[in-house]
Amino acid sequence: MEAKIFDRETILDLVVNFIPLGIILFFIGAFAVFAPWGFEPMASGLMFAIMVVMFLALAVLTYLSAKAIAGDEKRATVYAQGQAGLEGAEPIHGHDDAADTSAATDAEVDDTESTSE
Amino acid sequence: MDISAQISLTVLMGVFLVAVATWLTRVENWRSYSPVGGGAIVDRSGYVEEEKPAGIIRWLTTVDHKDIGILYGLYGITAFVVGGLMVTAMRIDLVTSESLLGTATYNGLLTSHGITMLFLFGTPIIAAFANYLIPLIIGADDMAFPRINAIAFWLLPPAALLIWAGFFAKPLGLFGPAQTAWTMYTPLSTGAAGGSADMVGGAGVDMMLLGLHLSGVATTIGAINFIATIFTQRGEKVTWANLDIFSWTVLTQSGLILFAFPLLGSALVMLLADRNFGTTFFLSDGGNMLWQHLFWFFGHPEVYVLVLPMMGIVSYVLPRFAGRQLFGFKFVVYSTLAIGVLSFGVWAHHMFATGMDPRLRTSFMAVSMAIAIPSAVKTFNWITTLWNGRIRLTTPMLFCIGFVSNFIIGGVTGVFLASIPVDLVLHDTYYVVGHFHYVVMGAIAFAGFAGIYYWFPLVTGRMYQASLGKAHFWLTMIGTNITFFAMILLGYGGMPRRYATYLPQFASLHQLATLGALIIFVGQLIWFWNMVSSWFEGKRVESADPWNLADDGVNTIEWQWFGTKLDTQLATDGGEADEVATDGGQVDADDASADADADPETNTE
Ligand code: HEM
Ligand SMILES: [Cu+2]
Repeated sequence: MEAKIFDRETILDLVVNFIPLGIILFFIGAFAVFAPWGFEPMASGLMFAIMVVMFLALAVLTYLSAKAIAGDEKRATVYAQGQAGLEGAEPIHGHDDAADTSAATDAEVDDTESTSE
Repeated sequence: MDISAQISLTVLMGVFLVAVATWLTRVENWRSYSPVGGGAIVDRSGYVEEEKPAGIIRWLTTVDHKDIGILYGLYGITAFVVGGLMVTAMRIDLVTSESLLGTATYNGLLTSHGITMLFLFGTPIIAAFANYLIPLIIGADDMAFPRINAIAFWLLPPAALLIWAGFFAKPLGLFGPAQTAWTMYTPLSTGAAGGSADMVGGAGVDMMLLGLHLSGVATTIGAINFIATIFTQRGEKVTWANLDIFSWTVLTQSGLILFAFPLLGSALVMLLADRNFGTTFFLSDGGNMLWQHLFWFFGHPEVYVLVLPMMGIVSYVLPRFAGRQLFGFKFVVYSTLAIGVLSFGVWAHHMFATGMDPRLRTSFMAVSMAIAIPSAVKTFNWITTLWNGRIRLTTPMLFCIGFVSNFIIGGVTGVFLASIPVDLVLHDTYYVVGHFHYVVMGAIAFAGFAGIYYWFPLVTGRMYQASLGKAHFWLTMIGTNITFFAMILLGYGGMPRRYATYLPQFASLHQLATLGALIIFVGQLIWFWNMVSSWFEGKRVESADPWNLADDGVNTIEWQWFGTKLDTQLATDGGEADEVATDGGQVDADDASADADADPETNTE
C-alpha cells in the first residue's frame, strides 16, 4: 500500500517540499560545522531546535498530505480543480500534467499504473 | 478625567449591549433556531425550508453561507474604504517635511490604518470569498456550523467600533485613538504603567486591544468552521485529490489561524493586564523581548493568513483566462502546506535588530530562506500556466497578472530582508514598508479585486462595466508601483518608517509616493462607482457561463450552481432584451470562438 502510494509520480510531486527540507538540512549541517559564536547549550540548543522542529514538522505534514492526496488519487477518479461533480467534466487520468489536459491528448499520458476509474 | 471617562464609557457600553440583547429577543423567535428546536421534532426548526424573512431582518438573522459571505464582503469593503481614507490623509500629510495634521493625529491614523487593513479588511474579505464559494465548490449544503458562522461575523462590527473608538471619543473630549502602531511594542504600549505616561492614547489603546481580541475570537471561530466544513462536508466526488486550490489554501490558512490567533489573544490580555491591573509581564527584565516574541509568533503567520487564500484565488482564476488548467497543480498544493508549517519557524526575522543571541538569529534566517522556495514555486507555476496559454486579458485576469508581477517584487525584497546583514541595514526603514506593501497591496488587494470582478456576475447576476474595470486596474497598478517603489528607494536612502516628519533630502521621493497614492485613490473611486452602479443597474447575465470557460474546458462547478439559479429565476423576471456584454467573452452566443483578442474594446462602451 505504502509503496503503491509513494510511487515515482508522487515522489516527483513532493520534490517541491524536499527543496526547503534540503535547505534546512544544509543550514543544520553548516551551523554544526561553522560556529563563529561558539557553542553554548541554551542558545545553540534553541538554534538547532528551531531548525530540527521545522524540518520534522514539514516532513510529517508532507508525508500525511501525500498519503491523503495520492491515496485518493489511486482510489477515486481525479478531476481538474473545481470540476468534480461538474456535468460533462472530463476526468484527468492519473496525473495532472497540466500541459496534457489542455488538448485532447490525454490518451497518451503514460502512467500505466494509474488505476483511476 | 480619565477615570470618569472610562466609567461613563463602560456604562454606555453596558446600556448599549442590554438594548441590543432586548431587541434581539424581540425580533425573532429564537426557539425556532435551536438545533433541536423545542424537543424531539427537529423538523419544526426548519430554517432551511422557510422563506427568508424580508428586508433588514433577513440580513440580521441569516445563517445562509452565501448571505454571510456577502455580509463579510460589505464589511471588508467598508473597512477598506476607511483604511484607505486614513492612509490618503497620511500621504497628503507627508507632502511636506513638516506634519500638517500634527504628529499625534498622524500616529493615530498610522496605527488604525494598519490594523484596519489587516484585521478588518484582509481577513474578512477572504472570509467573504470562502463563505460564499467553498460550500459551492466542494459540494456542501452549507458550512458545517451555520449559526456559528453567523456569530463569527457579528462579532466583527463591535470589534471595528472598539478599534476605532478613539476617533469617535476624541471629538467628545474623552480619549484619543491609539498611537502604538500595529505592532503595539512595549514599553510604548504599556502606557502609564510602563512609563510612557500614556502619550499613546490612554483608554483608546485599551479599546483597541479589546477590539483586536474580539476580532481574533471571530476569526478563530470562522477558522474552526472552515476546517470542519472542508474535512467533513465535501461532496462524494471531491476527494483530497480533487479538492480545488482555493479550498486548500483556506484550509491551510485556517490551520494557521488556529495556532496563531490564540497566542495573540493571550498576549493582548497580558498587555491589558499590565496596563490596567498591575501585572508586570512586559515590565520586568526581558519583557520587551517577550512581547516581540509573542507578537511575531502570531504576526508572521498572520501575513500568510492573508496571502495564502489570495494565492488560492489567483491559482483558481488565472488558469480560466489562460485557457488551460493550472500547471503543476499538486506542486501548488504541497507548497501551500509547506508554507503553512514553515511560517511558524521564521517569526524572529522581524527581530534581527533586537540584540537577540546571534546563534538563535541564524536559525530564523535559515528557515526564512527555506520558506521562500514554496512561494517561488507557485510563482513559476503561474508563469508556466500563462506560457503558450490562450490568454484573455479580462479585468480579473489583469489583476491576476498584476498580482504575480507585484508578488515577485514583494517576495524578492522579502528574501533580502531575511538575510541578517542586509536586514541590519534596512530594518525599520521604508524599505520594509515597501516590501510588505508590494505584498499586501500589490498582491493581496489585487487578488481580492480579481476575485471580486470574476465572481461579480455569480453573486449579483449582473456584469460590471468592463472599461471602468480596466481603468481601475491600470490606475491601481501604476499607482501601486509608483508609491511602493518610491518607498523602497526611500528605505535605501535611510528614511526611517513611522515618522510624520522627515529630512528635506527625502522630500521628492515622499512626494512621488503621495502622487502614486492619489493615483490609487482615483482608481478606487472608479472601482467603487463601477461596483455600486453595476450592482443595481449592470446588464443582466443570461448565460450560466459568462466567461465562456466551457470553450476551453476550464469551467468550474460554482457556475453550474449559478446556471441552476438562473434557470429558476428566469420564469419570474425575463423581459430584458439587452444583450449581455461580458468582459472579454463573446457578445453573442452563436458568434462562436471568442478569439483571444476579441476583448476588450469590442464590447465595452
Ligand atoms: C517571500 C517570503 C518573505 C520573506 C522572506 C519576508 C521577509 C521579511 C522580513 C525579514 C521582514 C522584516 C523586516 C524588518 O522589519 O527589518 C519582513 C517584514 C514584513 N513582511 Fe515579509 N517576507 C516575505 C513575505 C511576506 C508576505 C507574503 C507578506 C504579507 C502577506 C509579508 C508581510 C510583511 C510585513 C507586514 C512586514 C512588516 C512587519 C512590520 O514590521 O510591521 N512578507 N518580511
Ligand atoms: Cu515575517
